[in-house]
Amino acid sequence: MRISFFARVSLGVMLLLLLVIGSLAGALQQAAQQALERHAQEQLNIGARVFERLLALRSQQLQDEVRILSSDFGFRDAVASADVPTLRSALRNHGDRAEASEVLLLDLHGQIKASTSAAFAEGQPFAYAQALLTQLQNPQHLLVVPVDGVPHLLAAATVRAPLPVAVLIMGFEIDRALADELRQLTHLEVTLLVQTDNSKPRWLSTLLNAPAQQLELLRQLDSDSRHWQPLALAGEHYLSLAVPLSEAADYQISAFLHRPLNAVSAALLGLRERLLSIAGLAFGASLLLALLLARTVARPLERLARSAQRIGQGDYQAPIERLRVPELAALGAALGQMQHGIAERERQLAHNALHEPHSGLPNRTLLEERINSAIAAERPLGVLLIGVANFSEWLSARSGDAEQQLAQALAQQLLELRRPGLSVARLLDDRFAVLLEEASAAELITLADQCQQRLSQLRDWQGEALGLQVHIGVASYPQDAHSSEALLHCALAALHEAQMHHEPVQVYEQAKDAARQRQIILVRDLRQAAERGELQLHYQPKLNLRDGQIRQAEALLRWQHAELGWVSPGEFIPLAERTGSIAALTRWVIEAAVAQIAQWHAQGLVMQVSVNVSAADLAAFDVCQVVEQALSRHQLAAQQLVLEITESAVMQDQQHALAVLQALRELGVGLSVDDFGTGYSSLAQLRQLPVQELKIDQTFIRQLGPEGDDAVIVRSTIEMSHRLGLKVVAEGIESALVLELLRDWGCDVAQGYYISRPVPASALQAWLASDAAQVLQG
Amino acid sequence: MFRQLGWLAAGVMAALTAQAEVRVQVVDGQGQPLADAVVSIQAPGTPASTAVMDQVGKQFVPRVLAVSTGTAVAFPNRDDIRHHVYSFSEPKRFELRLYHGTPSQPVQFDSPGLVVLGCNIHDWMVGYIYVSADPWLAVTDAQGIARFALLAGDYPLTLWHPDWPQPQPWQGRAALSANTPALPLAVRISAAAPAAAPSNPFAEAFQRTLQQHAD
Repeated sequence: MRISFFARVSLGVMLLLLLVIGSLAGALQQAAQQALERHAQEQLNIGARVFERLLALRSQQLQDEVRILSSDFGFRDAVASADVPTLRSALRNHGDRAEASEVLLLDLHGQIKASTSAAFAEGQPFAYAQALLTQLQNPQHLLVVPVDGVPHLLAAATVRAPLPVAVLIMGFEIDRALADELRQLTHLEVTLLVQTDNSKPRWLSTLLNAPAQQLELLRQLDSDSRHWQPLALAGEHYLSLAVPLSEAADYQISAFLHRPLNAVSAALLGLRERLLSIAGLAFGASLLLALLLARTVARPLERLARSAQRIGQGDYQAPIERLRVPELAALGAALGQMQHGIAERERQLAHNALHEPHSGLPNRTLLEERINSAIAAERPLGVLLIGVANFSEWLSARSGDAEQQLAQALAQQLLELRRPGLSVARLLDDRFAVLLEEASAAELITLADQCQQRLSQLRDWQGEALGLQVHIGVASYPQDAHSSEALLHCALAALHEAQMHHEPVQVYEQAKDAARQRQIILVRDLRQAAERGELQLHYQPKLNLRDGQIRQAEALLRWQHAELGWVSPGEFIPLAERTGSIAALTRWVIEAAVAQIAQWHAQGLVMQVSVNVSAADLAAFDVCQVVEQALSRHQLAAQQLVLEITESAVMQDQQHALAVLQALRELGVGLSVDDFGTGYSSLAQLRQLPVQELKIDQTFIRQLGPEGDDAVIVRSTIEMSHRLGLKVVAEGIESALVLELLRDWGCDVAQGYYISRPVPASALQAWLASDAAQVLQG
Repeated sequence: MFRQLGWLAAGVMAALTAQAEVRVQVVDGQGQPLADAVVSIQAPGTPASTAVMDQVGKQFVPRVLAVSTGTAVAFPNRDDIRHHVYSFSEPKRFELRLYHGTPSQPVQFDSPGLVVLGCNIHDWMVGYIYVSADPWLAVTDAQGIARFALLAGDYPLTLWHPDWPQPQPWQGRAALSANTPALPLAVRISAAAPAAAPSNPFAEAFQRTLQQHAD
């Protein structure tokens, strides 16, 4: 989950607050607890002092009483009288007056002379003489003694007459009333503990009365300690302080003051509540702060983010909000600049994407868009595709920014045409296009002519003609295609046609295009045909008319295309010659033919095989070397191979052809002039060639009769050839009549469908053994 | 603070003069002259019939007065304030309520014994009247000397002093003359001079009692 900045800040602030308040609360609580404990301790200390003071006060009062009584003349008189009943009654009288618990009179030996209490028996020594002495010497000293397990505060005074004659003691029970008084004064609970050797500890407490809890109390308290002691009683917590009252060998009297800690806890609870409310307030404040932050920062940021999103979606028009917070305002301004920059760059990119950099003309993409929009609106449209054939040659002769200058000059020429509905584009370096909407075919052709003339007659600034070879292909919608791509393709096809035929302007024709498609496929696949095993040699047997033997055959190349099926040599051979793949083909044919000869030879069949070699072959590769290698590889006699060379091939480059033919002749390879009669060669010319044979073109043979022009030509050719020492081969024999005429006229060898059509090597073997062949051979 | 002094060798210094006078000097356990000691000699003679116990400066003057039985003692008050003289002592209980000047009636002491005088409104005022059947009584002066108009001889002798710890006075015989050797009397001597208001007489007495019990 992603947490927004706002939430993070709020959370951070709250956590910080929690931490601060938490630690503050902890520290405060600790400090408060300590302070409260110190307060409690202080209170206990004060309580102890108050308690001591209270007892001292009570002791003082009692001593005053005792002193007053002891110095009373009548009392002294009574003491002096030594009459015990009188004394006792006097003691009781004064004891009642002072509300004393007991009044005793000791003689100077420490014997109890008279007593109002059974706890102090007359005639017995006073049990606490030592403590008594201490008080007599130091009136501040408290005289606290256990009386029947109850602490009594005693006060003593000497009775003088005027010399000391007795000691008067008055006792006062430290009871619940005193404890309550103390409690009222100090708000402290009081426990009095009397421990004696010979009886159980006795208690007096303002806290509780239940014996079990008293025992519990006893267990927890240490009367010897002078420190604050915690005390837990019936769920209540107290801090206690022991105040020793009196201690002797056989008894110990202590008071304990208890400070309830519940008040402390209540105070702490109040503190905690207050802290909680402060924490709540702080949380509220932090929330408000966070909201404020959200209003001033987070919300504007969100709006800026939305603006950025809009920009991302391509909306560069929406204005960026102006913000008050300076940092955000800066961010907004930056965003605005970015928006502007992106818009500018995008416009630039769009221009670059749709325009060609050198000429500044629209590129192919934009051209296609325009074509498409016209097609979509069904507006008739014509495309002139302009090719500059010698563009790169022209450029290579120049340097620097010649391309740009040329491109701009050409663009300028085209743009100057200024026609409504006309637009110009540059597709490739040497390709320009002119688009004309709503134009008739005639208008298009006129425009094309205009363009062609403008461009081809272009002159540089010095007035020198640039000599550009400009061709234009014309295609139009809706006549030729229904998409921009197809339309441009048509125009391109027309341009190719124009370039091929050296015509300035060519209008697209669909048929030409289909043939061209087939040609393209053939040209493309021809290179791989041999590798794919699509090539095959067929053999057409030749009948020797002199001896009736069939010992010769012409190897004819067949191409079984994987998709197009049988392709005629008449179709692909010219293509091969034009595209330069003829050399590879001829090489393959020579080698295949030689291999076949060798195979037949091995099978005992001696055949002389002729192979066609074109003028292009003679120029393209060393035919002589290929033949020599093939023959030697198969160890064949050169006489078994005949190369048929067209008349035109010989005539095109007589010198070279002559050299090659000489070399071949020296090898011993037979040479034949193919298609004789179709060219313009003369027998006189042929005489210079090292050929042994002449092959009369089938056009003369096919319609041959006993009379007529063909008969004259054929008969005279045969005769002249024989005179020149050349054998004559006739091909295209389709009837027995023709065969017989030729035989009669002395033709040496016959070839044609009448004898056999071209067949695969295996079929030829079978045919040779067949009856038909036997009949021919007679 | 008390010092216990042991008994030392005893001797009576009696000096018989031409006027027939014997002198008795009493010293304490340390041999120092002991003032305010009562010397009582059992010898034929006629004692004086009156005596005076003044109150001067809120003190009894003299502090110790020794009288024979039957002597009438006057208690003139020479202070400008009143005194309330009393005694709870067994030999003579009496009370002279607040008065100025000399009371009309002297007090007659008929029984032998020690009478401790006090003033009911001035607790520190303590005076002693030693009443004896002996005709010859004297209180030693600052030099611890008591003089008697007696012939030198061997007499029964009684010695007492306010600081004497025993309930009964010291009794014995002594050859008295004008140069009687000093008689030592083991008294408890207060470190402080006789105080105007003793801090804690009971404590002393009580302590003394405890000591005796311990012995």
